[in-house]
Amino acid sequence: MSFIPGQPVTAVVQRIEICKLRQCDNLILGFSIGGGIDQDPGQNPFSEDKTDKGIYVTRVSKGGPAEAAGLMIGDKIMQVNGWDMTMVTHDQARKRLTKKNEDVVRLLVTRKSLEDAVRNAMV
Amino acid sequence: MEECDVHSTASILASVKEQEARFERLTRALEEERRTVSLQLERGTLPSTASGTQSLAWQQMVMQEQSPSNQTSLAMMQEPQEIVEETVTIEEDPGTPTSHVSVVTSDDGTTRRTETKVTKMVKTVTTRTVRQVPLGPDGVPFPEGSSPLGSYTNSIDRRFMKNGERFSTPQATSTLTRSYNNYSDSYGETPEGPYRHYGLHDGYGDLPDSYGSLSRGVNYRPRYPYMASSGYRPENSYTLPIRKDDYSHVAQPQVPLGGTVDLNRSQPERFQAEPYGLEDDRRSLGPDDDEPYDLESDYSTANRRTVGGANHGRHMREPPRVRGGYEDPIEADLIDDRHPYMPNLYSAPLAQAELGSLASLDRMGPMGGRRSPSADSVRKDPRWRDPDLPEVIAMLGHPVDPVKSNAAAYLQHLCYENDKVKKEVRHLKGVPLLVGLLDHPRPEVHRKACGALRNISYGRDHDNKVAIKNCDGIPALIRLLRKTSDMEVRELVTGTLWNLSSYEPLKMVIINHGLQTLTNEVIIPHSGWEQEPNEDSKPRDAEWTTVFKNTSGCLRNVSSDGAEARRRLRECEGLVDALLHALQSAVGKKDMDNKSVENCVCIMRNLSYHVHKEVPGAEKFQEPSTNQAPGSVGPQRKKKDDAGCFGGKKTKGRKNGESEKSYDTLDLPKRTEPTKGFELLYQPEVVRLYLSLLTESQNYNTLEAAAGALQNLSAGQWTWSNYIRATVRKEKGLPILVELLRSDSDKVVRAVAIALRNLSMDRRNKDLIGSYAMRDLVSNLPSGQQRPAKNLEEDTVVAVLNTIHEIVTDSSENARSLIQAQAIEKLVAINRTSQSQRETKAASYVLQAVWSHKELRNSLAKDGWNKTHFQPTATSQAKGTRSNKPAYDDTTLPLMEKNQGNKKSISGDMIPMDELDPDGYSTIDQKDKDCKYKSGDVSSDLAEREPLKNDTNRKQFVRTNRPAVNLVDTCDVKPQPVDSWV
Repeated sequence: MSFIPGQPVTAVVQRIEICKLRQCDNLILGFSIGGGIDQDPGQNPFSEDKTDKGIYVTRVSKGGPAEAAGLMIGDKIMQVNGWDMTMVTHDQARKRLTKKNEDVVRLLVTRKSLEDAVRNAMV
Repeated sequence: MEECDVHSTASILASVKEQEARFERLTRALEEERRTVSLQLERGTLPSTASGTQSLAWQQMVMQEQSPSNQTSLAMMQEPQEIVEETVTIEEDPGTPTSHVSVVTSDDGTTRRTETKVTKMVKTVTTRTVRQVPLGPDGVPFPEGSSPLGSYTNSIDRRFMKNGERFSTPQATSTLTRSYNNYSDSYGETPEGPYRHYGLHDGYGDLPDSYGSLSRGVNYRPRYPYMASSGYRPENSYTLPIRKDDYSHVAQPQVPLGGTVDLNRSQPERFQAEPYGLEDDRRSLGPDDDEPYDLESDYSTANRRTVGGANHGRHMREPPRVRGGYEDPIEADLIDDRHPYMPNLYSAPLAQAELGSLASLDRMGPMGGRRSPSADSVRKDPRWRDPDLPEVIAMLGHPVDPVKSNAAAYLQHLCYENDKVKKEVRHLKGVPLLVGLLDHPRPEVHRKACGALRNISYGRDHDNKVAIKNCDGIPALIRLLRKTSDMEVRELVTGTLWNLSSYEPLKMVIINHGLQTLTNEVIIPHSGWEQEPNEDSKPRDAEWTTVFKNTSGCLRNVSSDGAEARRRLRECEGLVDALLHALQSAVGKKDMDNKSVENCVCIMRNLSYHVHKEVPGAEKFQEPSTNQAPGSVGPQRKKKDDAGCFGGKKTKGRKNGESEKSYDTLDLPKRTEPTKGFELLYQPEVVRLYLSLLTESQNYNTLEAAAGALQNLSAGQWTWSNYIRATVRKEKGLPILVELLRSDSDKVVRAVAIALRNLSMDRRNKDLIGSYAMRDLVSNLPSGQQRPAKNLEEDTVVAVLNTIHEIVTDSSENARSLIQAQAIEKLVAINRTSQSQRETKAASYVLQAVWSHKELRNSLAKDGWNKTHFQPTATSQAKGTRSNKPAYDDTTLPLMEKNQGNKKSISGDMIPMDELDPDGYSTIDQKDKDCKYKSGDVSSDLAEREPLKNDTNRKQFVRTNRPAVNLVDTCDVKPQPVDSWV
């Protein structure tokens, strides 16, 4: 999942659509994110490449909308509703996910198991 | 007819009483005339019906019109009855001068049916006549003889309604007449009101002729009175009739259609008219301005009204008026009567009528007195004439209030986007009259006067603004603002002040007279800020009203008037608090793109300018220049600290503890009581506010202002600017700013670049910016011959170059980043080929700074560069680095004084974000600003520096040494949110 600047990135991605859960005034996705270009990538336990400043799913609440949609801990979020999430700050990612006027978020995520599966399949 | 007109002119002069006295005589005369008229009618009817011939038809039209007008003025109520009567009368009178006929009929009708009114006054009679007239048109031979009958019968009311609806003509006529009526009203001095006015008019008109005062002459005459002064001719009086003719031909016969036809014609114009609403100069606010939208609508209405009121608007308005409050007493009286009927009769027509009136207005407007009759009038009736400017201005002093207000409204209309008229109004001494009307007790009068002043004050012709000021218009406006609670008036007052505030010499006057009032009356209440917040209730949100927008725009302009103005605004009680509250509320509501927010941010930016020098007690916070401020990077200190800086994340202990501490941990002075007033300007808390605006706002002006505020706050060497610089970093503001370097807006890029330069006075910020912002900075530079897609202005390019210079100086790490960003090629190209001397120079300084890092020379040589590339080009060299100093006009001088830079240079960095009036009204132009900067900053000592020799031997700089620093300095940030639930 690491990439070389200037080179196209190839990743196996999965589309995940999460319908936000409304609790009072809050819309809840039911997961938490870590990472971002303003964070220390070295502390990210999920990334292979410790310089990867992408946004990762760090926790998924049981029974929450994210879990129902198939999101898993350690997923790297590539896009949110078409917006790139590989070069954003933590806060930008959070805001993009928590737009109050959007009830549904469509994620493009990639995860190691997906890549492995594809690689195995190709082999 | 002609006779009548002539008489009417004479009659103008006559007084009401005389009229009454003569009334009887007149009635007799009328009788006679009737006979003659009847003859004429016979003649006339044919032509008119045929298609309009001229005078006769025309006359008839007049009659009709008048009648409508009367109706309008009098009351809708009567109409039905009158209508019936009118039909009768019409038949009789067609040929006769409308006035006569109408009068007679009216008399009859009045006596018969509405005795009450008749009894009231002669005037009432006249009014009736008017009504009759309308009927007449309907009843008139062409349109419908039958209708009259019907009207007569029981169904009077209904009938009327029907007729009215059907016959748009009558209404249309009515509108026309109204305008006349208005004039007439003005004449009527008597308090009694509408009736009286009419009576008066009639009287005037009649006197000469012996026509009953009742006659339409009245209607015509109203104008005359004015004319009298100017020497109008009878013909003019007929102008209205002309229109009627149109109606008669078209409208009357077709009745419904005809009316519509006219309307249609007018409609387009009307729509154009709407712009009038805009007229107001909503100043600036230009695009935004602001606000034009709102204003437009308001204005349009206002205009219409005014127009209508002034000229003919009333006709159109009649129905509306009835509903809304009328300005004129007369109308008010009438209203009651009308109401019942109104709905039926006028409902449909009204809309059209309004249009028509507008149209008429529009036409009128252009004519503006000087202009020839409207297209329509020209076409149809050469005799049509609008009051000319001197007449209108004379009307401002008319004893009758409605005349004043109508004249003022008409002036507003005439002045709309017409600098020539504005100038003429000024020469004709109209401004003092208008200003005098501001204190008039009647809302209608001061509102219209204020509307006119608003239009007059708009534009680049500052003489108009000065004229308003010279007759004490500013205190008068402020008084009015204090006095009135009418939202529309408040909008007009503040809009006028906004316009005035765009002229430099008036700014201080506005501050002296109005600052506290504007703050107390508008800013504080609308901002939602409460001096002593009620703990139980939620803080109120700001209301983005037009009044607030106008006022904030005004303050925005005046806030740019130099140190004294800034001081006054800062010390104005509650102002800063309220503005901050409003902005916080905007951020909270995510409503940050509107004009009001823009204005507020601009004020904040202006007030933040030079805070470190101008704020009372600032001396206490100054960082001794010898003792390097924590953030500042003095060359000497750098040498000592560099190792530590690059060597370890934590700088604790490596520097002299105090400054380091304050800068790392932000030990803010303890506050015993909540901060308030101007102190709020530079509290680190505002950083978050500005960063939120920078993150969320889509408004370039707001973005620029917010970046400018950070720029201003981060300039200077005092404790607070150190806090601000560190806070920006801790609040993760650097990535936000860097991202804005990609903005499409030139000024945003410029403000951000300069802000980054100021922020890099903080060593850690400098490192961060050097490693993360370099590419974005470089991408804003033109490459070779081609300008980047953005095509940034010279100022911006220079600002970016100076920022780069600042970042590269004394930091070979950053210089290395610069090289890696492939900037050398661009810099060399700029240095050699740029058409701009300032760009050339700035690029040259950067190149020299790069070359001064000896350890980089090897790698530079590998890339094919040699010393000559880094030396000033021949041209710039001609000026010589040394001699350059004075010439170094860069507004954004490098912050750091290289040689023990003086504070001045720092201050120079701050851009006085003067009023950037979007509308282009900012009085301070770029040059001014430049001057300010220049004056502020002593020319940088670059020349003396001899950059090339300035090699600090820091060979040990290796990238690897450098801690991985993120844009957001992790070490500064306490526990970062590793993850966040969503």
